[in-house]
Amino acid sequence: MTTPFSTLLLRTLNKGVLPYLLILVHIALGSALVYTAPRSNLAFLVLISSLFTLYVLKADNRFKLIAGAILALLIIPVIGVRNIFYLEVIFQISVFAALALGLNIVVGFAGLLDLGYVAFYAVGAYLWAFFGSQQYFVLPFAPGTQPSDLPFLLPGDAFYLFLFIAIIVAALTGILLGLPVLRLRGDYLAIVTLGFGEVIRVLANNLDKPLNFTNGPQGITPIQRPTMPDWAVQGFNDLFGPLIGHTVSPADMYNLYFYLLALLVIIVIIFVTRRLDDSKIGRAWTAVREDETAAIAMGVPLVRMKLAAFAVGASFAGVMGVLLAASRTFISPESFSFMQSIGVLSMVILGGSGSIAGVILGAAVVTILNLQVLQGFSLYLSELRQSEAIIPIINFAWRDLSTQLDPAKYQRLLFGLILILMMIFRPAGLIPAKRRKRKLADDQPAAE
Amino acid sequence: MALLETINLVKSFGGLTAVNRVNFQLEAGRIVSIIGPNGAGKTTLFNTLTGIYQPDQGQINFNGSSLVGLRPDQIAARGMARTFQNIRLFGEMTVIENILVGMHAHLKQSPLQALLRLPAFRREERESEHKAVELMHYVGLSGVGNELAKNLPYGAQRRLEIARALAADPLLLLLDEPAAGMNPQETEEVTHLFRHIRDHKGITILLIEHDMRVVMNISEQICVMDYGEKIAEGTPAEIRANTRVIEAYLGRGAVAGQHEEQR
Amino acid sequence: MKHFLSAINVRELLRPLGQLLLFSLGSAVVLSAIVLTLALVLDQTTVGQHLHGRYNVSLYTYTLVNLPQVVIDGLTIGFVYAAIALGYTMVYGVLEFINFAHSEIFAVGAFVGVEILIALDNTGILRGASLGMAYAYLIFAIVMGMAAAGALAVTVERIAYRPLRGAPRLVPLISAIGVSFLLQDVIRLVEGLTTGQFNRIMPTFGNFDQRLNLGRFALGEANIALGISVKSIIVITSAVLMLVGLNYLVNATRIGKAIRAVAQDRPTASLMGINVNRIISLTFLVGGLLGGAAGVLYALKFTRIDAFVGFFPGLKAFTAAVLGGIGNLTGALLGGIVLGMLETFAGSYLGVFTMGAAGSEYKDIFAFSILIIVLIFRPQGLMGENVGQKA
Repeated sequence: MTTPFSTLLLRTLNKGVLPYLLILVHIALGSALVYTAPRSNLAFLVLISSLFTLYVLKADNRFKLIAGAILALLIIPVIGVRNIFYLEVIFQISVFAALALGLNIVVGFAGLLDLGYVAFYAVGAYLWAFFGSQQYFVLPFAPGTQPSDLPFLLPGDAFYLFLFIAIIVAALTGILLGLPVLRLRGDYLAIVTLGFGEVIRVLANNLDKPLNFTNGPQGITPIQRPTMPDWAVQGFNDLFGPLIGHTVSPADMYNLYFYLLALLVIIVIIFVTRRLDDSKIGRAWTAVREDETAAIAMGVPLVRMKLAAFAVGASFAGVMGVLLAASRTFISPESFSFMQSIGVLSMVILGGSGSIAGVILGAAVVTILNLQVLQGFSLYLSELRQSEAIIPIINFAWRDLSTQLDPAKYQRLLFGLILILMMIFRPAGLIPAKRRKRKLADDQPAAE
Repeated sequence: MALLETINLVKSFGGLTAVNRVNFQLEAGRIVSIIGPNGAGKTTLFNTLTGIYQPDQGQINFNGSSLVGLRPDQIAARGMARTFQNIRLFGEMTVIENILVGMHAHLKQSPLQALLRLPAFRREERESEHKAVELMHYVGLSGVGNELAKNLPYGAQRRLEIARALAADPLLLLLDEPAAGMNPQETEEVTHLFRHIRDHKGITILLIEHDMRVVMNISEQICVMDYGEKIAEGTPAEIRANTRVIEAYLGRGAVAGQHEEQR
Repeated sequence: MKHFLSAINVRELLRPLGQLLLFSLGSAVVLSAIVLTLALVLDQTTVGQHLHGRYNVSLYTYTLVNLPQVVIDGLTIGFVYAAIALGYTMVYGVLEFINFAHSEIFAVGAFVGVEILIALDNTGILRGASLGMAYAYLIFAIVMGMAAAGALAVTVERIAYRPLRGAPRLVPLISAIGVSFLLQDVIRLVEGLTTGQFNRIMPTFGNFDQRLNLGRFALGEANIALGISVKSIIVITSAVLMLVGLNYLVNATRIGKAIRAVAQDRPTASLMGINVNRIISLTFLVGGLLGGAAGVLYALKFTRIDAFVGFFPGLKAFTAAVLGGIGNLTGALLGGIVLGMLETFAGSYLGVFTMGAAGSEYKDIFAFSILIIVLIFRPQGLMGENVGQKA
């Protein structure tokens, strides 16, 4: 349900060519702002929010597709390599959007609250971290004692193969974890999945003995990246060099490359999600969410459908894990904490559980809040600390403000607030899920 | 041979025996009612038949094979469909989708076909959608295919539940108080519908009902339960005259007429 | 006086004490038997030789020597878990809702108690306090911790759970997770702004850190020294008092009857003239009070606390509640004691038995493994009754 005001606003805006104009203006304005002020957070927000405009306004689908492609494949790469921080933000949004889409299958479609979702992400990440690094040869060495000249087990290009292997391994992990626990009632399931998430994290932390699989808390590094052909770097520089204003180094190109890979993965995920949702599997998931007893009495095999949801959700996370390990060249257990699971959950809840556009919006909003708003606030506070400023009435010198007070580290507060407020005021999320309206030719409403 | 047969069926919860040594036979093609005071174990019997509860003792034979130990979805796939006493639709799904879920076991599409939108998949989806619309019309709903089930009025929800159950192409339809909460005209209409389902679709019907007008009007056989036991069985005329039945209803100081309105 | 005594149901007061004794002894005996058997079996294998090579004792003797201390430690932590588990089980019994934020209610209790004692310590009165005064200060801190946690629990229910009553089950659970996260950072924020520190340390005062030697006796080649610290005794005693008090409240008073009525059937209880909202608030209050006390006791026992101190004890206490049969007070006791014992046994012996491959670092996930196993094989818990799923 949209609030009356936003419905009204949309109705006024969605007239004739107005939406087309608005979309173009928004994209152009955002691009221009970011281009002229590459360091401004505000400019970046204007640009990134044009995706939202593109989504909500009514326009021809082909137009939307072209506009979106130009934005994603032309504008963002160009401004991204001009200021690599933006690319990092967008890459993180993409990673979290993929995770949120995966969790959305489990929570949003099938109604199973999984509090240990990042465990599957960890499985994918450690899979490539192990096979795509020297770790295989480090097995007999305790962390920190290995010789420095160990070879790599596999070539970097095995990365592409492992994207697919991760799908299978993560899905199998999902089934294995799900098999014993999916008979449980919803709230027990939540706690047990939380436990599984912690088990995976503790294993990652401690499987450095008796054989050193994970290198413990220090994490695994270096992890290989796929090779990038020279002509790609060369070609990009020839094509966009004038626009960017300087040649892009191969290292920076990798950021762009992983952004494009993440984008590709998301497109595949959306495709898979939509098609499954609109088949008997998707209907069974929703039926299970709505009423388990009725669903099973109608012939829906409950456990098998729940396992399918777990497996599909897990496989999305597994792929993103491989991508993360390769793009960072380093992973450690820290990235797979309970807080990350809740972070992804808060994206799903904020955006609208069950709604594809919603969870992507949720991922974008939460990531931007995290990376830009909270961190920006942190920077502002540390500037204040170094200044001579004083809060007037209570005579408090900013200098004396505790360094413990670092907003960037208050993600839990953010996630907590999102979860509580959304549950109380808007449980369906910012963009609630809608059922597809079918064209039922032979079912005309009775004349009124 | 009987379509459905229970032998010494027992289901108890803690100290309470909700279904006690029930022997019951249902011939194919009939309309049979189960009646009895509140708490007599009628719904528990339904839940045991459909596999939601596992029986503590006894046998359930359906269409030539035993149902004991099967899951509800397996039982549903063998041709038993049901409605619920307190309507259990998938509220956030559309009317058509609710009916499509009822067809779940019959749809042959694989996930791969769904991902690739192969012609076989598209044909099956089109045909099942078409069939769903037909069923919707059959139970007397029209023009509401894209409505969310939760937004339908009460009577329409009851009808939708029946359509959803019919979508499974069942041999046997279990209806749990299908006329509860309906006004006399609606009751008249659904009674007609049940008879039509049996006569034209050949589906056997077993229903639990408190409304004696419906029961006496439609049933060819009536089974009376009290305190978990089957206390009588027979044609409507026989049941009307049965002293044990009258005791079960009247022995509690109630008047027969009041019972019909007690919901 | 006589009249007053007759009004107190002595049987209800004493019943949990007997159960506690039974559970403690039972789990101690069973687990001891298991590890001793394992030790005997493994003594002649490489495991035994490995240990012999390092400490020059046989595995059996090593196990036996450590056993009494392990039991005492297990009991102490078990009672802490039991006290927290009571909060989960009370709320679950009444609302069928996992109060995920209970772990932070516990943490707030710990912080309030510790901050009060630190403040007292800074004035210098703690160091010179007589033994009697030291106990008085500790009790004061516990009471304040309880009050804060109780008030918080009621507030949280009012703001974050009550509006969601009647919504699908997962909705209030998600809200509770949100409250849990929010409170963790609020604690951090308040501590960061006021003290600028992340960890808080319980001040040392009184005789709480002393160890009482319960005796020393020779057994074969080994000397077994039995000791228990004063603070462990305090923890166990307070937990027992809380358990007895709660049991009495629920099973032998008018309020308890109302709580049980609401737990059984909310609409009917309301028709019988019971103010359901007030009873639910009361349930949260009682759970919060117990959680707050457990928090201060935890801080006393483990000294160092931070904003995330509630997470693991909370999860383990929930596991304990499920293990015993959630909604069942006696079950929470049983679950807490069994879990505390299991965990301490695992932490102490796992490393020795696996030759250091897996040690106490797996202690924390040990609880989860138990939770999963219990839920799969006996979801109603050790003491719960099998209640048929409503169709």
